[in-house]
Amino acid sequence: MDLSLTPDHLAILDALDSLAKPYASVPIGDHGCALTSPALDRELAEGGFLDVALDPDLGTVAAAVIVERLARLPFTTEAAMSALVRPLLGEVSGPICLVEEGKPRRLLRFLCEGATVVMVGNHSVSTFVATAEQVRAEPESLYGYPVAMLLVDPELIVGKILMASPEAVRTRWRIALAAEAAGLLAAALESVTAHTSDRNQFGRPLATFQALRHRLAEAQVRTNGVYWLTMKAAGTLDAGDAALAALHAQETARSVVYDFHQFLGAMGMTLEHPLHLWTYRLKLLASELGGRGAHALAAAAALWG
Amino acid sequence: MNFNWTPDEAAFRQRLKDFLSQTLPKDWERFSQHGPASPALTAYARTFCGKLAKDGLLTPHWPKEIGGQGLDLWHQIILAEEMWIAGEPRGGQYMNVNWVGPTIIKYGTKAQRERYLPPITAGTALWCQGFSEPGSGSDLASLRTRAVLEGDHYRVTGQKIWTSYAGLADTCFLLCRTSEDRKAGISILLVPMDTPGITVRHIPSLIGEGDIHEVFFDDMMIPADALFGEAGQAWEIIGFGLAHERLGIPRFALARAALDRAVSVLQDQEEWSSEAVKIEAANCAALCEAARMANYAIVTRRAKGDVIGSETSSARLATIMAERRVAEFVVEYLPEALADTHPYLKMHHQRGIVAGIAAGAAEIQLNIIANDVLKLPREPR
Repeated sequence: MDLSLTPDHLAILDALDSLAKPYASVPIGDHGCALTSPALDRELAEGGFLDVALDPDLGTVAAAVIVERLARLPFTTEAAMSALVRPLLGEVSGPICLVEEGKPRRLLRFLCEGATVVMVGNHSVSTFVATAEQVRAEPESLYGYPVAMLLVDPELIVGKILMASPEAVRTRWRIALAAEAAGLLAAALESVTAHTSDRNQFGRPLATFQALRHRLAEAQVRTNGVYWLTMKAAGTLDAGDAALAALHAQETARSVVYDFHQFLGAMGMTLEHPLHLWTYRLKLLASELGGRGAHALAAAAALWG
Repeated sequence: MNFNWTPDEAAFRQRLKDFLSQTLPKDWERFSQHGPASPALTAYARTFCGKLAKDGLLTPHWPKEIGGQGLDLWHQIILAEEMWIAGEPRGGQYMNVNWVGPTIIKYGTKAQRERYLPPITAGTALWCQGFSEPGSGSDLASLRTRAVLEGDHYRVTGQKIWTSYAGLADTCFLLCRTSEDRKAGISILLVPMDTPGITVRHIPSLIGEGDIHEVFFDDMMIPADALFGEAGQAWEIIGFGLAHERLGIPRFALARAALDRAVSVLQDQEEWSSEAVKIEAANCAALCEAARMANYAIVTRRAKGDVIGSETSSARLATIMAERRVAEFVVEYLPEALADTHPYLKMHHQRGIVAGIAAGAAEIQLNIIANDVLKLPREPR
């Protein structure tokens, strides 16, 4: 048992932090809820950061470390599925959007023309590349991700059937969403601690009031738990570990998001403060793969039958 | 990151499991309900710890020159987990090997080490910690038990409360005030409990028989060489000791074991089909495993020689969350466990309530996280 980052992990994070530096602050001026950067996407791809899971010396833990770190940025990028799920899919291009059989009418993160839609069924996994006609972008969405509706039922499209097992894909999907949530939670917490440390009321910083301090401290404990459950699941690729990580991530998102906005007072309702970039992404992640109940049932089945 | 146990660590855990199954009496689970501080378990612990010592399993993580085998921190946590999951057959002696012994090794005089370490390594010593007072609980630095040097003796007057194991302990790790300087005025005396002037009263409790006490010191005279460390050094020393204790009890492991047992009972009773039960069980497991990983992350860093302070409080809070959720699960779905139907689950429930209170209350842990992990500006005092 050794939970330290390896020298390889540390070197990757150093390189990633250098690359991400221009994207670490929110640009001044109006921008929509979904802050993206084609340049960031391109640099990540060119740097090979999303391919680390294919390297046997680095593997899925390195991929989860990268996804967690990238999710802290105010800019969002489709890293989670590409870094963690794509190794099971063979040659695919564009952002990767996963859909569960029986639940086609959902907003999909990063869905656009040219994206690879992965249909995760009960017995098989298939993919197709989305065309412009199959996609309706939702630019007014609050979610902090570029999202779109899939206008066709993916079950009716004859896609390419993959060898990957649906269970293995679901496990990676859970790890990917938990890794993304871990980074979002860390960034949101940091943003709130900074604001409440600076903002004075009643002659002292908000963060000196115990009503906030203890809830922020609990958020730290939960966020830390999400990080470690995610890393463990990325290390073991065990279905039960992955379900526990996803469950804890979604449960933590549920328990902290309103508190975080609350602690910012009226600033918590604005687009001027960047908090929403992380918390509204968490809101969308909270629905993935059936939400907390579905992950809990999957975990219970894996742990106890 | 490596989430697997090494072959050596796995073999050590198996060796402990084998030892426990061969050594513990058949009615152990019912017997262990008496609580680690009960007279019955304290007496049994002397036999059990003697056997552990004989097999080299009592202090394997201590340095070789003082009765250990120099095994690393991971072996210490595996030992602690297996013992705590088993209901802590070491009784109050777990404290000796977790923090009393290591603290004496670090801060004791040669005479103190020679006097107090051999009974610990033989499995016969029982310590109590004289910390809390009626007016000084979470605000420990306000303690008022006074030790005044008179010639070559200290005269000690005052009262301690919530003192675990005091009824049967042979030695007290006593905090007392030697000057008015708040934290810097507190000193430690190592006090034999048969010293005249000590009165112990048992406090009936929910957490097991004989576990908490009041201890009165009425003009107790103790030789000055009972002073442990320098006068006024107590705060530093107990910081060292509590850092061991806060990590020391792997409550998450018992919480998970109790959860697994509860699920197994529900399955046997054919009450495992409800989705609501499964969902709540999974929530419990998530908290247990989150706490386990938070603790292991601390162990990893400490095993590499880092000095970890405040993050330990975060791991401890995670453990408290897990303990309580599992205890609530048992009460909700197996209420009969708190009668006498499932002694193991009752044992967990009795010990679970302690998690957020002993060794620094949950609120104190939250304060530490707020101050030192999140680095929030401090509350005005």
